[in-house]
Amino acid sequence: MVQLLWNGLFVGSFYALVALGYTMVYGIIKLLNFAHGDVYMLGAFIGFVALSGLGAIPGSLSLVALAIVMLISMTLTGFAGVLIERVAYRPLRGSPRLAVLITAVGVSFALEYGVSAIFGPNPRVFPVRLSNEGATMFGARFSFAQIALMVIALLLMFGLDTYVRRTSTGRAMRAIALDPKASLLMGINVNSVITRTFFIGSALAGAAGVMAGAYYGNINFLMGFIIGLKAFTAAVIGGIGNIRGAMLGGLLLGLLEAFGSQWFGGQWRDVFSFAVLILILTLRPTGILGGRVTERV
Amino acid sequence: MAKSKSKSERVNDNAELSDNVDASMAPRLIGKPQSRLSALFESKRLGWAALAIALILPFIIATPYTLNVMTNAAIFVLLAAGLNIVVGYCGLLDLGYVAFMAVGAYTAGIIAKSFELPLFFTIPAVLIMTVLAGLIIGTPTLRLRSDYLAIVTLGFGEMIRLTANNLAITGGTGGIYGIPGLQVFGIELQDPVRFYYVCVAIVSVFVLAAARLGKSRLGRAWRFVREDEDAAEAMGIHTYKVKLMAYIFGAFWGGMGGVLFAAHLSAVSPHSFVFLQSALVLMAVVLGGMGNMRGVVLGAIAITLLPEMLRNFSDYRYLVFGILLVVVMVFRPQGLWPSRAYEPERGFEGTKRSRARAAAKGQTS
Amino acid sequence: MALVTATVLMTSACSGILSGGSSTPAATGPIKIAMVVPLSGSSAPSGLTMKNGAQMAVDEINAKGGILGGRKLEMDVQDSACDPGQAVSAANKAVSNGDVISVGGYCSSATLPTLSIFNSKNIPMIIPAADSQDLPNAKLPNAFLINGTGVQQSAAAVAFMKKEGMKSVALVDDNTSYSKDITTETNKELNADGSIKVLVNTSVTAGEQDYSSVVNTIKTANPDMVYWTAYYQEGGLIINQLRTAGYTGKIMVADGSVDASLIKIAGSADAEGVFATSPPTPATLPGAKDWVANYTKKFNAAPGPYSTQSYDAVRLAAQAITNAKTTDGVKVINALKTIKGFKLFTGVLQFNSEQTLKSGGFVVLVVKNGKFVLKDSLQ
Repeated sequence: MVQLLWNGLFVGSFYALVALGYTMVYGIIKLLNFAHGDVYMLGAFIGFVALSGLGAIPGSLSLVALAIVMLISMTLTGFAGVLIERVAYRPLRGSPRLAVLITAVGVSFALEYGVSAIFGPNPRVFPVRLSNEGATMFGARFSFAQIALMVIALLLMFGLDTYVRRTSTGRAMRAIALDPKASLLMGINVNSVITRTFFIGSALAGAAGVMAGAYYGNINFLMGFIIGLKAFTAAVIGGIGNIRGAMLGGLLLGLLEAFGSQWFGGQWRDVFSFAVLILILTLRPTGILGGRVTERV
Repeated sequence: MAKSKSKSERVNDNAELSDNVDASMAPRLIGKPQSRLSALFESKRLGWAALAIALILPFIIATPYTLNVMTNAAIFVLLAAGLNIVVGYCGLLDLGYVAFMAVGAYTAGIIAKSFELPLFFTIPAVLIMTVLAGLIIGTPTLRLRSDYLAIVTLGFGEMIRLTANNLAITGGTGGIYGIPGLQVFGIELQDPVRFYYVCVAIVSVFVLAAARLGKSRLGRAWRFVREDEDAAEAMGIHTYKVKLMAYIFGAFWGGMGGVLFAAHLSAVSPHSFVFLQSALVLMAVVLGGMGNMRGVVLGAIAITLLPEMLRNFSDYRYLVFGILLVVVMVFRPQGLWPSRAYEPERGFEGTKRSRARAAAKGQTS
Repeated sequence: MALVTATVLMTSACSGILSGGSSTPAATGPIKIAMVVPLSGSSAPSGLTMKNGAQMAVDEINAKGGILGGRKLEMDVQDSACDPGQAVSAANKAVSNGDVISVGGYCSSATLPTLSIFNSKNIPMIIPAADSQDLPNAKLPNAFLINGTGVQQSAAAVAFMKKEGMKSVALVDDNTSYSKDITTETNKELNADGSIKVLVNTSVTAGEQDYSSVVNTIKTANPDMVYWTAYYQEGGLIINQLRTAGYTGKIMVADGSVDASLIKIAGSADAEGVFATSPPTPATLPGAKDWVANYTKKFNAAPGPYSTQSYDAVRLAAQAITNAKTTDGVKVINALKTIKGFKLFTGVLQFNSEQTLKSGGFVVLVVKNGKFVLKDSLQ
């Protein structure tokens, strides 16, 4: 039981980290960024290249190296996100929203098969593997790597939450989410705020990618697809556009999967978690923490 | 495939109102005066021309491969026409449309195989099952708006695929194979050429029907709901019922697509009903031009042909496909052949300049 | 309605002309060999190793001067993406390209609908990887399977479990037909036999990274052995996560997981002692060292699952064409039916009445010092 809870929370924190990027972008420009999961994959591959470039790393330094590589990867995926926004999304602002959905799928294809063309379709083994040591408490096993990654994920999430709530850029983001036109009139540089949003969201996905690579040890060009769908689900369940909702949604989805798999077997797991999600949405049509949608009349 | 265009064209022939399939809602010429080119695009004869092309094509290029691709395209046109009812007309974002195709294909496959019936005779059962599926999926979800609806439809799509994957009656992971072909009164229609013509005929009828539906009273209600749900409600439209109708029609179209798909492959397997397939059908609708049946037909043909034409790139196929999608959408955000309905822009139009063409989407609400 | 009638009439009128144009194979020029395998999507890695294996055989035969008096072989590889719809397109494309024999077929569900397409043009299919029982059940004369079927692999697995004195097992698949075939058959045999209990029989979703929930289920049940029946990407992760969670029982994998990457992904310490049911791999066969070295040199990667089978498929195709002295499909199919003494990697080829291998040739391998080596030939 404790083990199930812990496993669910651990997987859920990955979902949450990726879901944050989804929800931020959605909150601000109402775009379902289907390429977001692939940015996560890109982050893992950038981490892979950077770590391979560093050459052999003594075990004692591997955590330091990993932290550095994570920063590199976050920066690069951040810029990649900005570039994607610039090339594929900005020209379409003001167009039907579904048009942007299609370019997002296009970008997703391009990223997946671009990486596959460079690295080949075979999975790659991450050069650094976090150790498996851990402790047993309450009959469940907690590995130190898991705890470290959870702490990093939580720090990133709370850092982001504070950023959005406390800084002027954060305020600008919230303002744009409410009413872009009025924000523009109030002197907010909407483009630069959107750029920043993409940078932060993509950087978080990149961080999650490196963490996944280091923890699981194996990366491949399609690794972003499933987690992208899951993160999307998590973001919607929490109330899309709501940052705390995305965290909650991610953790909840992780737990649902852990318990669903236990109760119904792996083949029915996704059926179970989707069924619960649909149930939640029928009861709370805007997600757990989502506010009432302001309908324009 | 192209023939189906002709069908939508024929709608125009028969229409008393205007020659614009989509114009029921908005005044047609708010923008520029109609140019000669757009006059050509609106022409009633264009559809007949397209039908003629579709019928003649097998005489010009009739390798098994081209026939197969053309048949795929025809089936895809049917799917896109169905999704256009849901997304284009009614503005409900559906990310799990393939669920209906799966229901149709499995229903037809299971019945045809267990009772040794020709596939045509399974159509009533398919009708019942898809309507049921539309009701089951629609009833709890249609109170949701935009992206919440999207995730729920996506969820249903995955649930149906996984269920098919796990059940014995659907053949589990291997699916159903050896489905009897299309036969009518002893005439074997499984030969590729005949099958292509059968597909073209069926698809044409359905595309025509979809286009006519779009012009009907119900179709106008759909458009109203798409434009402004609250106003529609206020004007006395039972929005929930109207949306459910869109779902049910969309479901039946999808189910028919599934029947043709099952007949074409003589096999059904869960692999065919992944999320990507839903995304591709949605792409066809958006790329072609939401709400405009001619555009959607064009979009469906484009989405089928592109990956085939890119086969020679082998490993780079989807890379090129992805880039092409981005490029096309950046240059034609409203789709290749958008509905001419002019709508005042709303929602977020960006900061620099806004394109005046915020077209059909429920999410703008 | 009139339109429909017209169409039907037209159809019957012209179909004669159109479908009559089945091309007779060219008597000169290169002999084109079709291969429909996944080159995109999550199965793309296996498509690549199969393509490479086939290419190697083609190059070897061409270097020796080709067949039928100097005609060279040429590969025509088409992407199926493991999707039945795309596979049908790909097969039709191959037929239209004038290919005379097929050596592809990876995902069973994508291979099934292509059988009749090739069969209608009498193009023989030598299927190197797809192994579902559904393929022989289709009873088409042109399909020959040179990979042991799921039933044969399950039998090998059960035999080995008994030999090792297992009392309880967990069966885990990835919910695809290849994998599920093996777990279902194994489960059936174990239940019929009764001496080994199946404590867990579950599936995971391929393409994910965290399998902690299934690992947890297994650990709670604590069986003597875990049998993973799908591919190495997830297999490596599951082995790693099982060991990390403290599972100490035995682990066995099916042939889709027999790849050097499995050991790398699992980590060599965790992979040590993992068993595998598989046809003999080149690395475990005496005298195949050169083959592995050549392959590695040529493609800058070690051979993967089904590289050898694909290599064999091309050689077998060439042999059958040589025996038939023509590329005419019917004659080549007959040549395949009557072929004698042809040596595959797994031993001398012998088809049974279903046109699958008489004996799957499955052996049990074990990971020793970071490499798969022969454990038990199950004779």
